[in-house]
Amino acid sequence: MIRLEHVSKVYKTSTRPALQDVSVGVDKGEFVFLIGASGSGKSTFLRLLLREEVPSRGRVYVANFDVARMARRRVPRLRQSIGCVFQDFRLLNNKTVHENVAFALEVIGKPRNTIRKVVPEVLELVGLEGKSARMPHELSGGEQQRVAIARAFVNRPLMLLADEPTGNLDPDTSQDIMLLLERINRTGTTVLMATHDHSIVDSMRRRVVELDLGQVVRDDSRGVYGVGR
Amino acid sequence: MRASFVFSEVLTGLRRNVTMTVAMILTTMISLALLGLGLLVVRMVDNTQDVYEDEVDVNVYLTNDISANDPECAQDPCAGLRAQLESDPAVEVVSFENRQQAYDRFQQIFEAQPELLKLVRPESLPASFNVQLKDPSRADVITQTYSGSVGVDSIVDESEFLERLFNVFNGVRDVTFAVALVQAVAALLLISNTVQVSAFTRRTEVNIMRLVGATRWYTQLPFLLEAVVAGLIGAILAIGLLVAFKAWFFDSVLSGVFSTGVISPVSGLDILLVSPWLLLTSIGISATTGYVTLRLYVRQ
Repeated sequence: MIRLEHVSKVYKTSTRPALQDVSVGVDKGEFVFLIGASGSGKSTFLRLLLREEVPSRGRVYVANFDVARMARRRVPRLRQSIGCVFQDFRLLNNKTVHENVAFALEVIGKPRNTIRKVVPEVLELVGLEGKSARMPHELSGGEQQRVAIARAFVNRPLMLLADEPTGNLDPDTSQDIMLLLERINRTGTTVLMATHDHSIVDSMRRRVVELDLGQVVRDDSRGVYGVGR
Repeated sequence: MRASFVFSEVLTGLRRNVTMTVAMILTTMISLALLGLGLLVVRMVDNTQDVYEDEVDVNVYLTNDISANDPECAQDPCAGLRAQLESDPAVEVVSFENRQQAYDRFQQIFEAQPELLKLVRPESLPASFNVQLKDPSRADVITQTYSGSVGVDSIVDESEFLERLFNVFNGVRDVTFAVALVQAVAALLLISNTVQVSAFTRRTEVNIMRLVGATRWYTQLPFLLEAVVAGLIGAILAIGLLVAFKAWFFDSVLSGVFSTGVISPVSGLDILLVSPWLLLTSIGISATTGYVTLRLYVRQ
Protein backbone atom coordinates (compact mmCIF):
# COMPACT_ATOMS: atom_id res chain seq x y z
CA MET A 1 0.00 0.00 0.00
CA ILE A 2 2.83 2.38 0.96
CA ARG A 3 6.46 1.87 0.00
CA LEU A 4 9.32 4.29 0.54
CA GLU A 5 12.64 3.26 -1.01
CA HIS A 6 15.76 5.07 0.21
CA VAL A 7 13.89 8.32 0.48
CA SER A 8 15.73 11.50 1.45
CA LYS A 9 14.27 14.95 1.67
CA VAL A 10 16.30 18.11 2.01
CA TYR A 11 14.51 21.44 2.32
CA LYS A 12 16.17 24.37 0.62
CA THR A 13 16.13 26.39 3.84
CA SER A 14 17.77 23.74 5.99
CA THR A 15 21.19 22.12 5.98
CA ARG A 16 20.10 18.95 7.79
CA PRO A 17 17.93 16.58 5.74
CA ALA A 18 14.36 16.19 7.06
CA LEU A 19 14.46 12.55 6.01
CA GLN A 20 17.57 10.51 5.30
CA ASP A 21 17.57 7.21 3.42
CA VAL A 22 14.22 6.08 4.75
CA SER A 23 12.84 2.75 3.52
CA VAL A 24 9.48 1.63 4.92
CA GLY A 25 6.70 -0.60 3.58
CA VAL A 26 3.13 -0.71 4.84
CA ASP A 27 0.70 -3.41 3.70
CA LYS A 28 -2.95 -3.01 2.94
CA GLY A 29 -5.10 -3.01 6.06
CA GLU A 30 -2.24 -2.36 8.50
CA PHE A 31 -2.46 0.05 11.43
CA VAL A 32 0.85 1.84 11.91
CA PHE A 33 2.00 4.44 14.44
CA LEU A 34 4.62 6.88 13.27
CA ILE A 35 6.37 8.28 16.32
CA GLY A 36 9.29 10.54 17.07
CA ALA A 37 10.13 13.88 18.62
CA SER A 38 9.16 17.17 16.97
CA GLY A 39 11.39 17.71 13.96
CA SER A 40 12.08 14.01 13.55
CA GLY A 41 10.51 13.99 10.09
CA LYS A 42 6.99 12.65 10.76
CA SER A 43 5.24 15.51 8.98
CA THR A 44 7.60 15.34 6.00
CA PHE A 45 6.86 11.61 5.81
CA LEU A 46 3.12 12.27 5.58
CA ARG A 47 3.55 15.16 3.15
CA LEU A 48 5.54 12.97 0.80
CA LEU A 49 2.71 10.45 0.69
CA LEU A 50 0.25 13.20 -0.27
CA ARG A 51 2.69 14.67 -2.75
CA GLU A 52 2.66 17.93 -0.88
CA GLU A 53 6.42 17.47 -1.19
CA VAL A 54 8.60 15.62 -3.66
CA PRO A 55 11.55 13.60 -2.29
CA SER A 56 15.07 14.80 -3.04
CA ARG A 57 16.12 11.19 -3.59
CA GLY A 58 14.42 7.81 -3.60
CA ARG A 59 11.00 6.52 -4.66
CA VAL A 60 7.59 6.81 -3.01
CA TYR A 61 4.76 4.45 -3.92
CA VAL A 62 1.20 4.82 -2.64
CA ALA A 63 -1.40 2.32 -3.88
CA ASN A 64 -0.45 2.08 -7.55
CA PHE A 65 0.95 5.60 -7.82
CA ASP A 66 4.61 6.38 -8.29
CA VAL A 67 4.10 9.49 -6.21
CA ALA A 68 7.35 11.32 -6.82
CA ARG A 69 7.20 10.97 -10.59
CA MET A 70 3.49 11.12 -11.41
CA ALA A 71 2.16 13.90 -13.62
CA ARG A 72 0.81 16.87 -11.73
CA ARG A 73 -2.64 16.50 -13.23
CA ARG A 74 -2.97 12.98 -11.74
CA VAL A 75 -2.26 14.19 -8.19
CA PRO A 76 -5.98 14.71 -7.40
CA ARG A 77 -6.61 10.99 -8.10
CA LEU A 78 -3.89 10.08 -5.61
CA ARG A 79 -5.36 12.37 -2.98
CA GLN A 80 -8.85 10.99 -3.55
CA SER A 81 -7.54 7.61 -2.41
CA ILE A 82 -6.12 9.07 0.83
CA GLY A 83 -8.14 10.49 3.73
CA CYS A 84 -6.52 13.05 6.04
CA VAL A 85 -7.15 13.99 9.66
CA PHE A 86 -5.26 16.68 11.58
CA GLN A 87 -4.69 17.83 15.12
CA ASP A 88 -6.59 21.07 14.47
CA PHE A 89 -9.59 19.38 12.76
CA ARG A 90 -9.64 21.94 9.85
CA LEU A 91 -13.40 22.16 9.62
CA LEU A 92 -15.17 24.95 7.73
CA ASN A 93 -16.73 27.05 10.47
CA ASN A 94 -19.44 28.53 8.27
CA LYS A 95 -20.79 25.14 7.25
CA THR A 96 -22.84 22.61 9.22
CA VAL A 97 -21.59 19.14 10.08
CA HIS A 98 -23.45 17.70 7.11
CA GLU A 99 -22.14 20.40 4.76
CA ASN A 100 -18.57 19.91 5.96
CA VAL A 101 -18.68 16.25 5.10
CA ALA A 102 -20.59 16.82 1.86
CA PHE A 103 -18.04 19.46 0.80
CA ALA A 104 -15.39 16.76 0.35
CA LEU A 105 -17.62 15.02 -2.18
CA GLU A 106 -18.98 18.15 -3.89
CA VAL A 107 -15.52 19.39 -4.81
CA ILE A 108 -14.60 16.14 -6.50
CA GLY A 109 -17.79 16.30 -8.53
CA LYS A 110 -19.86 13.52 -6.92
CA PRO A 111 -23.53 13.57 -7.92
CA ARG A 112 -25.95 15.11 -5.47
CA ASN A 113 -28.04 12.01 -4.80
CA THR A 114 -24.90 10.03 -3.92
CA ILE A 115 -23.95 12.74 -1.46
CA ARG A 116 -27.43 12.71 0.08
CA LYS A 117 -27.11 8.98 0.64
CA VAL A 118 -23.55 8.50 1.88
CA VAL A 119 -23.12 11.51 4.17
CA PRO A 120 -25.73 10.34 6.77
CA GLU A 121 -24.21 6.85 6.59
CA VAL A 122 -20.74 8.03 7.46
CA LEU A 123 -22.06 10.38 10.17
CA GLU A 124 -23.73 7.39 11.76
CA LEU A 125 -20.49 5.41 11.52
CA VAL A 126 -18.60 8.07 13.48
CA GLY A 127 -21.41 8.40 16.00
CA LEU A 128 -22.74 11.81 15.03
CA GLU A 129 -26.24 10.84 13.91
CA GLY A 130 -28.66 13.57 14.93
CA LYS A 131 -25.97 16.27 14.91
CA SER A 132 -25.75 16.87 11.18
CA ALA A 133 -27.31 20.35 11.40
CA ARG A 134 -24.91 21.62 14.09
CA MET A 135 -22.21 24.15 13.39
CA PRO A 136 -18.63 23.18 14.33
CA HIS A 137 -18.46 25.68 17.21
CA GLU A 138 -21.48 23.99 18.77
CA LEU A 139 -19.54 20.73 19.09
CA SER A 140 -16.96 19.45 21.57
CA GLY A 141 -13.39 18.85 20.41
CA GLY A 142 -13.96 15.11 20.20
CA GLU A 143 -17.08 15.63 18.12
CA GLN A 144 -15.28 18.03 15.80
CA GLN A 145 -12.58 15.43 15.25
CA ARG A 146 -15.29 12.91 14.43
CA VAL A 147 -16.61 15.26 11.78
CA ALA A 148 -13.09 15.53 10.37
CA ILE A 149 -12.76 11.74 10.35
CA ALA A 150 -16.15 11.43 8.65
CA ARG A 151 -15.00 13.89 6.00
CA ALA A 152 -11.75 11.97 5.50
CA PHE A 153 -13.55 8.65 5.25
CA VAL A 154 -16.70 9.57 3.31
CA ASN A 155 -15.12 8.86 -0.07
CA ARG A 156 -13.96 5.43 1.21
CA PRO A 157 -10.23 6.02 0.76
CA LEU A 158 -7.76 3.12 0.68
CA MET A 159 -5.78 4.78 3.39
CA LEU A 160 -6.24 7.20 6.27
CA LEU A 161 -3.41 9.50 7.34
CA ALA A 162 -3.81 10.99 10.81
CA ASP A 163 -1.40 13.66 11.98
CA GLU A 164 -1.62 13.89 15.79
CA PRO A 165 -5.40 13.42 15.73
CA THR A 166 -5.60 13.30 19.52
CA GLY A 167 -3.18 16.17 20.14
CA ASN A 168 -5.93 18.58 21.18
CA LEU A 169 -8.11 16.11 23.08
CA ASP A 170 -8.31 14.84 26.65
CA PRO A 171 -7.34 11.18 27.33
CA ASP A 172 -10.89 9.81 27.44
CA THR A 173 -11.91 11.52 24.23
CA SER A 174 -8.64 10.41 22.65
CA GLN A 175 -9.52 6.84 23.53
CA ASP A 176 -12.88 7.21 21.77
CA ILE A 177 -11.19 8.59 18.67
CA MET A 178 -8.77 5.65 18.68
CA LEU A 179 -11.69 3.22 18.85
CA LEU A 180 -13.16 4.96 15.85
CA LEU A 181 -9.90 4.76 13.90
CA GLU A 182 -9.69 1.09 14.81
CA ARG A 183 -13.17 0.53 13.51
CA ILE A 184 -12.24 2.23 10.26
CA ASN A 185 -9.11 0.08 10.09
CA ARG A 186 -11.29 -3.03 10.42
CA THR A 187 -13.10 -2.09 7.21
CA GLY A 188 -9.79 -2.79 5.44
CA THR A 189 -8.59 0.79 5.37
CA THR A 190 -4.88 1.23 6.02
CA VAL A 191 -4.31 3.70 8.88
CA LEU A 192 -1.07 5.62 9.38
CA MET A 193 -1.06 7.77 12.48
CA ALA A 194 1.67 10.18 13.55
CA THR A 195 1.56 10.78 17.29
CA HIS A 196 3.32 11.80 20.51
CA ASP A 197 0.82 10.09 22.73
CA HIS A 198 2.60 7.38 24.77
CA SER A 199 -0.45 5.89 26.41
CA ILE A 200 -2.30 5.40 23.17
CA VAL A 201 0.63 3.70 21.45
CA ASP A 202 1.27 1.54 24.49
CA SER A 203 -2.34 0.47 24.86
CA MET A 204 -2.97 -0.33 21.20
CA ARG A 205 0.01 -2.63 20.66
CA ARG A 206 0.23 -2.01 16.97
CA ARG A 207 3.16 -1.63 14.63
CA VAL A 208 5.41 1.30 15.56
CA VAL A 209 7.83 3.06 13.24
CA GLU A 210 10.06 5.54 15.05
CA LEU A 211 11.87 8.37 13.36
CA ASP A 212 14.78 10.26 14.87
CA LEU A 213 16.52 13.12 13.06
CA GLY A 214 15.08 11.92 9.77
CA GLN A 215 16.08 8.29 10.06
CA VAL A 216 14.09 5.16 10.95
CA VAL A 217 15.52 4.00 14.27
CA ARG A 218 12.91 1.37 15.13
CA ASP A 219 10.22 -0.67 13.40
CA ASP A 220 8.35 -3.00 15.82
CA SER A 221 5.38 -5.01 14.66
CA ARG A 222 3.71 -4.82 18.12
CA GLY A 223 5.56 -1.97 19.76
CA VAL A 224 5.22 0.46 22.62
CA TYR A 225 6.25 4.08 22.70
CA GLY A 226 9.22 4.18 25.03
CA VAL A 227 11.01 0.85 24.60
CA GLY A 228 14.80 0.89 24.70
CA ARG A 229 15.02 4.53 25.69
CA MET B 1 -18.10 19.93 -12.63
CA ARG B 2 -21.14 21.14 -10.76
CA ALA B 3 -22.07 24.58 -12.05
CA SER B 4 -24.20 25.47 -9.03
CA PHE B 5 -21.27 24.83 -6.69
CA VAL B 6 -18.85 26.99 -8.68
CA PHE B 7 -21.46 29.73 -9.10
CA SER B 8 -22.24 29.96 -5.39
CA GLU B 9 -18.50 30.05 -4.61
CA VAL B 10 -18.07 32.97 -7.04
CA LEU B 11 -20.89 34.94 -5.44
CA THR B 12 -19.57 34.31 -1.94
CA GLY B 13 -16.12 35.41 -3.02
CA LEU B 14 -17.31 38.65 -4.59
CA ARG B 15 -19.42 39.47 -1.54
CA ARG B 16 -16.67 38.69 0.91
CA ASN B 17 -14.22 41.12 -0.71
CA VAL B 18 -16.78 43.73 -1.57
CA THR B 19 -14.49 46.78 -1.29
CA MET B 20 -11.78 45.19 -3.39
CA THR B 21 -14.36 44.04 -5.89
CA VAL B 22 -15.78 47.55 -6.22
CA ALA B 23 -12.29 49.03 -6.65
CA MET B 24 -11.52 46.43 -9.29
CA ILE B 25 -14.76 47.11 -11.15
CA LEU B 26 -14.29 50.90 -11.09
CA THR B 27 -10.69 50.82 -12.30
CA THR B 28 -11.60 48.41 -15.06
CA MET B 29 -14.53 50.64 -15.99
CA ILE B 30 -12.40 53.79 -16.29
CA SER B 31 -9.69 52.02 -18.22
CA LEU B 32 -12.15 50.50 -20.67
CA ALA B 33 -14.16 53.71 -21.04
CA LEU B 34 -10.97 55.55 -22.03
CA LEU B 35 -10.05 52.78 -24.43
CA GLY B 36 -13.56 53.00 -25.88
CA LEU B 37 -13.29 56.77 -26.19
CA GLY B 38 -10.01 56.39 -28.05
CA LEU B 39 -11.61 53.88 -30.39
CA LEU B 40 -14.54 56.26 -30.96
CA VAL B 41 -12.12 59.04 -31.92
CA VAL B 42 -10.45 56.64 -34.35
CA ARG B 43 -13.82 55.87 -35.91
CA MET B 44 -14.69 59.57 -36.04
CA VAL B 45 -11.45 60.37 -37.87
CA ASP B 46 -11.97 57.45 -40.26
CA ASN B 47 -15.54 58.54 -41.03
CA THR B 48 -14.51 62.15 -41.51
CA GLN B 49 -11.68 61.08 -43.78
CA ASP B 50 -14.14 59.07 -45.87
CA VAL B 51 -16.41 62.09 -46.22
CA TYR B 52 -13.58 64.32 -47.39
CA GLU B 53 -11.82 61.77 -49.51
CA ASP B 54 -13.57 62.89 -52.72
CA GLU B 55 -14.00 66.52 -51.86
CA VAL B 56 -10.54 67.74 -51.11
CA ASP B 57 -9.70 70.30 -53.75
CA VAL B 58 -6.73 72.48 -54.55
CA ASN B 59 -7.33 76.19 -55.04
CA VAL B 60 -5.00 78.08 -57.35
CA TYR B 61 -5.29 81.79 -56.56
CA LEU B 62 -4.41 84.21 -59.33
CA THR B 63 -2.50 87.46 -59.18
CA ASN B 64 -4.21 90.77 -58.63
CA ASP B 65 -3.50 91.75 -62.21
CA ILE B 66 -5.49 88.86 -63.67
CA SER B 67 -8.18 89.16 -61.01
CA ALA B 68 -8.76 92.78 -61.96
CA ASN B 69 -8.41 92.66 -65.73
CA ASP B 70 -9.52 89.26 -66.98
CA PRO B 71 -12.89 88.36 -65.41
CA GLU B 72 -13.66 85.84 -68.18
CA CYS B 73 -10.24 84.20 -68.22
CA ALA B 74 -10.10 84.81 -71.95
CA GLN B 75 -6.51 86.05 -72.25
CA ASP B 76 -3.09 84.71 -71.44
CA PRO B 77 -1.70 83.96 -68.91
CA CYS B 78 -5.10 82.96 -67.43
CA ALA B 79 -6.36 81.07 -70.48
CA GLY B 80 -3.02 79.34 -70.93
CA LEU B 81 -2.99 78.28 -67.25
CA ARG B 82 -6.48 76.89 -67.58
CA ALA B 83 -5.57 74.91 -70.70
CA GLN B 84 -2.49 73.56 -68.95
CA LEU B 85 -4.49 72.49 -65.90
CA GLU B 86 -7.22 70.90 -67.99
CA SER B 87 -4.72 68.82 -69.92
CA ASP B 88 -2.89 67.76 -66.76
CA PRO B 89 -3.40 63.97 -66.33
CA ALA B 90 -3.80 64.32 -62.52
CA VAL B 91 -6.69 66.74 -62.83
CA GLU B 92 -10.33 65.77 -62.96
CA VAL B 93 -12.21 69.08 -63.30
CA VAL B 94 -11.12 72.69 -63.35
CA SER B 95 -13.51 75.55 -62.68
CA PHE B 96 -12.76 79.26 -62.79
CA GLU B 97 -14.14 81.72 -60.29
CA ASN B 98 -13.66 85.40 -60.98
CA ARG B 99 -13.42 88.20 -58.48
CA GLN B 100 -17.15 89.02 -58.56
CA GLN B 101 -18.18 85.40 -58.12
CA ALA B 102 -15.77 85.03 -55.21
CA TYR B 103 -17.28 88.14 -53.64
CA ASP B 104 -20.83 86.82 -54.08
CA ARG B 105 -19.88 83.54 -52.48
CA PHE B 106 -18.14 85.37 -49.64
CA GLN B 107 -21.26 87.39 -48.99
CA GLN B 108 -23.31 84.25 -48.92
CA ILE B 109 -21.02 82.48 -46.46
CA PHE B 110 -20.75 85.42 -44.05
CA GLU B 111 -24.33 86.62 -44.37
CA ALA B 112 -24.67 86.55 -40.61
CA GLN B 113 -21.69 88.85 -40.02
CA PRO B 114 -22.46 92.22 -41.66
CA GLU B 115 -19.43 93.92 -40.01
CA LEU B 116 -17.16 91.53 -41.83
CA LEU B 117 -19.00 92.14 -45.10
CA LYS B 118 -18.56 95.87 -44.76
CA LEU B 119 -14.80 95.46 -44.50
CA VAL B 120 -14.41 93.36 -47.60
CA ARG B 121 -14.75 94.70 -51.12
CA PRO B 122 -14.50 92.69 -54.32
CA GLU B 123 -11.00 94.08 -54.88
CA SER B 124 -9.65 92.27 -51.84
CA LEU B 125 -10.62 88.85 -53.20
CA PRO B 126 -8.58 87.09 -55.90
CA ALA B 127 -9.92 85.08 -58.84
CA SER B 128 -9.07 81.43 -58.64
CA PHE B 129 -9.15 78.00 -60.23
CA ASN B 130 -10.80 75.30 -58.20
CA VAL B 131 -9.04 72.08 -59.17
CA GLN B 132 -10.53 68.67 -58.40
CA LEU B 133 -8.02 65.88 -58.54
CA LYS B 134 -8.39 62.30 -59.73
CA ASP B 135 -6.37 61.20 -56.70
CA PRO B 136 -6.83 63.67 -53.80
CA SER B 137 -3.69 62.44 -52.05
CA ARG B 138 -1.56 63.77 -54.93
CA ALA B 139 -2.35 67.43 -54.25
CA ASP B 140 1.30 68.28 -53.63
CA VAL B 141 2.10 67.52 -57.29
CA ILE B 142 -0.16 70.38 -58.43
CA THR B 143 1.33 72.66 -55.78
CA GLN B 144 4.85 71.90 -57.00
CA THR B 145 4.07 72.15 -60.71
CA TYR B 146 2.19 75.45 -60.72
CA SER B 147 3.80 77.41 -57.87
CA GLY B 148 5.66 80.29 -59.45
CA SER B 149 3.95 80.03 -62.85
CA VAL B 150 3.10 83.35 -64.38
CA GLY B 151 -0.21 84.66 -63.05
CA VAL B 152 -0.28 82.32 -60.00
CA ASP B 153 -0.31 84.12 -56.68
CA SER B 154 -0.63 81.19 -54.29
CA ILE B 155 -1.87 77.61 -54.14
CA VAL B 156 -3.87 76.30 -51.19
CA ASP B 157 -4.23 72.61 -50.62
CA GLU B 158 -7.39 72.00 -48.54
CA SER B 159 -6.10 68.66 -47.36
CA GLU B 160 -3.38 70.45 -45.41
CA PHE B 161 -6.01 72.06 -43.23
CA LEU B 162 -7.72 68.68 -42.72
CA GLU B 163 -4.42 67.10 -41.88
CA ARG B 164 -3.93 69.60 -39.10
CA LEU B 165 -7.46 68.87 -37.84
CA PHE B 166 -6.79 65.12 -37.90
CA ASN B 167 -3.53 65.66 -36.08
CA VAL B 168 -5.49 67.21 -33.23
CA PHE B 169 -7.87 64.23 -33.18
CA ASN B 170 -5.02 61.77 -33.32
CA GLY B 171 -3.39 63.58 -30.42
CA VAL B 172 -6.60 63.24 -28.42
CA ARG B 173 -6.70 59.56 -29.36
CA ASP B 174 -3.10 58.97 -28.29
CA VAL B 175 -3.63 60.70 -24.95
CA THR B 176 -6.77 58.67 -24.18
CA PHE B 177 -4.95 55.47 -25.14
CA ALA B 178 -2.00 56.39 -22.94
CA VAL B 179 -4.21 57.14 -19.92
CA ALA B 180 -6.20 53.99 -20.67
CA LEU B 181 -2.96 52.02 -20.61
CA VAL B 182 -1.92 53.42 -17.23
CA GLN B 183 -5.39 52.65 -15.88
CA ALA B 184 -5.18 49.18 -17.39
CA VAL B 185 -1.95 48.52 -15.46
CA ALA B 186 -3.72 49.66 -12.27
CA ALA B 187 -6.67 47.43 -13.09
CA LEU B 188 -4.34 44.51 -13.77
CA LEU B 189 -2.60 44.88 -10.42
CA LEU B 190 -5.94 45.21 -8.65
CA ILE B 191 -7.29 42.08 -10.31
CA SER B 192 -4.16 40.18 -9.35
CA ASN B 193 -4.39 41.52 -5.81
CA THR B 194 -8.07 40.69 -5.46
CA VAL B 195 -7.51 37.15 -6.67
CA GLN B 196 -4.71 36.73 -4.14
CA VAL B 197 -6.77 38.16 -1.28
CA SER B 198 -9.68 36.00 -2.33
CA ALA B 199 -7.52 32.89 -2.41
CA PHE B 200 -6.03 33.83 0.95
CA THR B 201 -9.36 34.39 2.71
CA ARG B 202 -10.45 31.01 1.46
CA ARG B 203 -7.21 29.15 2.09
CA THR B 204 -8.90 26.72 4.52
CA GLU B 205 -11.42 25.71 1.87
CA VAL B 206 -8.76 25.53 -0.81
CA ASN B 207 -6.50 23.40 1.40
CA ILE B 208 -9.32 20.99 2.14
CA MET B 209 -10.21 20.86 -1.54
CA ARG B 210 -6.64 20.01 -2.44
CA LEU B 211 -6.41 17.34 0.25
CA VAL B 212 -9.58 15.55 -0.75
CA GLY B 213 -8.38 15.51 -4.34
CA ALA B 214 -10.32 18.28 -6.05
CA THR B 215 -8.87 19.13 -9.45
CA ARG B 216 -7.26 22.42 -10.22
CA TRP B 217 -10.41 23.50 -12.05
CA TYR B 218 -12.54 22.99 -8.96
CA THR B 219 -10.17 24.80 -6.62
CA GLN B 220 -9.30 27.69 -8.90
CA LEU B 221 -12.16 28.25 -11.31
CA PRO B 222 -14.18 30.21 -8.71
CA PHE B 223 -11.33 32.71 -8.30
CA LEU B 224 -10.86 32.98 -12.04
CA LEU B 225 -14.57 33.53 -12.60
CA GLU B 226 -14.63 36.13 -9.85
CA ALA B 227 -12.07 38.15 -11.79
CA VAL B 228 -13.92 37.64 -15.07
CA VAL B 229 -17.31 38.57 -13.60
CA ALA B 230 -15.86 41.76 -12.09
CA GLY B 231 -14.16 42.55 -15.40
CA LEU B 232 -17.39 41.99 -17.27
CA ILE B 233 -19.34 44.29 -14.94
CA GLY B 234 -16.59 46.88 -15.42
CA ALA B 235 -16.91 46.58 -19.20
CA ILE B 236 -20.69 46.95 -19.12
CA LEU B 237 -20.40 50.04 -16.92
CA ALA B 238 -17.74 51.42 -19.29
CA ILE B 239 -20.13 51.03 -22.22
CA GLY B 240 -22.82 52.82 -20.20
CA LEU B 241 -20.31 55.58 -19.50
CA LEU B 242 -19.58 55.90 -23.23
CA VAL B 243 -23.29 56.19 -24.04
CA ALA B 244 -23.67 58.89 -21.38
CA PHE B 245 -20.56 60.67 -22.62
CA LYS B 246 -21.85 60.59 -26.19
CA ALA B 247 -25.15 62.13 -25.08
CA TRP B 248 -23.45 64.83 -23.03
CA PHE B 249 -20.29 65.68 -24.99
CA PHE B 250 -20.72 64.66 -28.61
CA ASP B 251 -24.45 65.27 -28.92
CA SER B 252 -24.74 68.50 -26.96
CA VAL B 253 -21.34 70.17 -26.51
CA LEU B 254 -20.04 69.30 -29.97
CA SER B 255 -23.41 69.42 -31.72
CA GLY B 256 -22.52 72.79 -33.31
CA VAL B 257 -19.35 71.37 -34.81
CA PHE B 258 -21.12 68.34 -36.19
CA SER B 259 -23.99 70.35 -37.70
CA THR B 260 -21.54 72.29 -39.93
CA GLY B 261 -20.65 68.92 -41.44
CA VAL B 262 -16.93 69.52 -40.99
CA ILE B 263 -16.59 66.46 -38.75
CA SER B 264 -18.80 63.43 -39.06
CA PRO B 265 -20.67 62.83 -35.79
CA VAL B 266 -20.35 59.86 -33.40
CA SER B 267 -23.40 57.64 -33.72
CA GLY B 268 -24.91 54.97 -31.52
CA LEU B 269 -23.72 52.50 -34.13
CA ASP B 270 -20.12 53.49 -33.44
CA ILE B 271 -20.56 52.65 -29.76
CA LEU B 272 -22.25 49.39 -30.70
CA LEU B 273 -19.26 48.49 -32.86
CA VAL B 274 -16.73 49.43 -30.17
CA SER B 275 -18.54 47.59 -27.32
CA PRO B 276 -17.66 43.99 -28.26
CA TRP B 277 -13.99 44.91 -28.26
CA LEU B 278 -14.30 46.37 -24.77
CA LEU B 279 -16.05 43.22 -23.53
CA LEU B 280 -13.50 40.92 -25.16
CA THR B 281 -10.55 42.96 -23.90
CA SER B 282 -11.98 42.92 -20.40
CA ILE B 283 -12.64 39.18 -20.36
CA GLY B 284 -9.26 38.44 -21.90
CA ILE B 285 -7.29 40.61 -19.51
CA SER B 286 -9.10 39.57 -16.32
CA ALA B 287 -8.99 35.86 -17.18
CA THR B 288 -5.31 35.96 -18.10
CA THR B 289 -4.37 37.99 -15.03
CA GLY B 290 -6.39 35.71 -12.77
CA TYR B 291 -4.88 32.59 -14.30
CA VAL B 292 -1.30 33.82 -14.09
CA THR B 293 -1.82 35.00 -10.49
CA LEU B 294 -3.18 31.61 -9.45
CA ARG B 295 -0.28 29.84 -11.15
CA LEU B 296 2.23 32.04 -9.36
CA TYR B 297 0.74 32.36 -5.90
CA VAL B 298 -1.55 29.42 -5.21
CA ARG B 299 0.05 26.00 -4.97
CA GLN B 300 -1.55 22.90 -6.33
